[in-house]
Amino acid sequence: MSEMIDIIVDSQSYKVQNGSLLIDLLIKEKIKVPYFCYHESLGADGNCRMCMVEIEGQKRPQIACDTFIKPGMIIRSKGENIEKVRTDILELELINHPVDCPICDQAGECSLQEFYMEYGLHDSKISISEKVKHSKHLDLGSNVMLDQERCVLCARCTRFTDKITYTHELGIIGRGDEAKVTTMPGRKLDNPYAMNVVDLCPVGALTSKDFRFAQRVWFLQTVDSICHGCAKGCNIYIDHNKIKYQDDVIYRFRPRRNDNVNGFFICDAGRLSYKQLQENRLESAILNGEKITQMQAIAKAKELLAKHKENITVVIDANLYTEEIEAILAFAKELNAKVCSPKEVYRDESFKDDMLRSSNRAANYKTIERLNIDTKEPDSSSLILNFNHPQDFEATSVINFLTHNRLSLGLSLPIAAYSENEGTLTNEDGFTQKCEKAIFKNVPIPTIIEHLIRLRR
Amino acid sequence: MSQHTREGSITSDHIKVTKRHGNSFRDKLYLPAIYDGVKVTFKHLFKNLNNINDIETLRYPEEQPTDITQRWRGLHRLTHRADNSIACVACFMCSTACPSNCIFIEATQRQDGKDEKMPASFFIDTLECIFCGYCVEACPCDAIRMDTGIFSLTGNKREDFVMNKEQLLSHKGAFAEEISCARN
Repeated sequence: MSEMIDIIVDSQSYKVQNGSLLIDLLIKEKIKVPYFCYHESLGADGNCRMCMVEIEGQKRPQIACDTFIKPGMIIRSKGENIEKVRTDILELELINHPVDCPICDQAGECSLQEFYMEYGLHDSKISISEKVKHSKHLDLGSNVMLDQERCVLCARCTRFTDKITYTHELGIIGRGDEAKVTTMPGRKLDNPYAMNVVDLCPVGALTSKDFRFAQRVWFLQTVDSICHGCAKGCNIYIDHNKIKYQDDVIYRFRPRRNDNVNGFFICDAGRLSYKQLQENRLESAILNGEKITQMQAIAKAKELLAKHKENITVVIDANLYTEEIEAILAFAKELNAKVCSPKEVYRDESFKDDMLRSSNRAANYKTIERLNIDTKEPDSSSLILNFNHPQDFEATSVINFLTHNRLSLGLSLPIAAYSENEGTLTNEDGFTQKCEKAIFKNVPIPTIIEHLIRLRR
Repeated sequence: MSQHTREGSITSDHIKVTKRHGNSFRDKLYLPAIYDGVKVTFKHLFKNLNNINDIETLRYPEEQPTDITQRWRGLHRLTHRADNSIACVACFMCSTACPSNCIFIEATQRQDGKDEKMPASFFIDTLECIFCGYCVEACPCDAIRMDTGIFSLTGNKREDFVMNKEQLLSHKGAFAEEISCARN
């Protein structure tokens, strides 16, 4: 490793590694520097020219993203000169921009908007009618929409398909005013991580077809969570909103940076899994196909538990939070019940790839292993308590605790989904991570722990 | 505790002393002030008794007000484009600006190629609306205006006061042109 050296940024001294990128230091120390093309996962490209800084001894301003730190550097990131340079470059970026922020989904989280408010605030010298026209709302495939007019040609999306997914679908063709992002002829954007280009795009050129026009981003509330799609445990943001007089709804999942687990990205399957989470929810208790009240359901469950004192089996879903699994184990011990969590149903070799997707599609499988829970199918028992396990089991009587509607006989009680509850998960690499409670429903559905408390009374 | 320290930090040069009125003997008597007030009342009484036909009252509803001006904020309307389609692009600026959160919009893809986005539904709950006009100020497309001159709204039930997109589009502007100045 190279040695640590001192450099000065805005008359303050910093200790950094010799030869590292200047922009990484600026980002790390939260020194304001505008940039479009640089991204920590994609490296420097140096095409947007926004991250200009003054380096003492250099004639002209230099871009921070392609400057390697050398001993004794003195850098200025503020000042009249450098702000003038940034304003001029921003004006260049905005020459052909259509300024259609009112209909742009990126508005509110757009780098162009932020930098314009910070460094621009200039009047355009070009009228809208003179601007170069390109295609708008092109469907690139994989739920990605392209607006070539809004693009600043930072090439983050093309570098993503070149360096991260190695699928090379996107490229920039043409020169000068005519340069635009497009797919290779006859090809669509088609890879399991394609929607990450929407997050990568600093402007509104690439937007999600799934989120298109659903909400303005400033209405959304963001909560930290973990994707439940597989055992990888990718970190996500849950963006949700409770519209007046309506219920709390998730509008999208976004990847949350965690260098230990998922880096910057999530797969499209995980990103779109919020839909299954919200659709077809079990909201009231059901006994043999007929709706009953929660009180009746609890009474019925108690009756069944009293009737089948012996030979009870508890089946646990490996997607539940660790706290819930432990509570269920304690409850099973009181009942003298056998506990199992059949694992075959979670295996999906077709889902696996060498990036983020794991063939084990249970988010908390590591905890099932750690607690030594039997992973075989249950033996014939007189009563089965199924805590949201995806399989159905044969028994004299069955009590299901389910998040989603399912065709099953016996008694079914609704339970809160992971977004309506908080807890921890341990991913397949052994990282234990916390999910926050995101959704506060108008009529809350009880959690497993609340059900267990009622059953004990 | 914090209050105490805050008070302690205020010095005499921070305090602006305003001279109080009403401390003179004449003011404390109150009678001259009462006389001044009653004088105005009686002046109007005698003036109106002398010329009873000039009193400015309105036999509403047979007589309708004629003094509603262009900048008076009446019931909302949604403007049109030259081809009579809706001008609104569903940018949600009005509902963002609305202090009483009474504008409910659902956006959808616009198919006629004029713009990308339009409202699928647009509701204003006029019972919650405080007629502040912020929505008009916020609109970048001149798509919502309050220049209809409609000042009274009647209905038999609460739902009648929730204006939908079609109702808002059907309201006519009382003063200015029908068509949006910003979208055509």
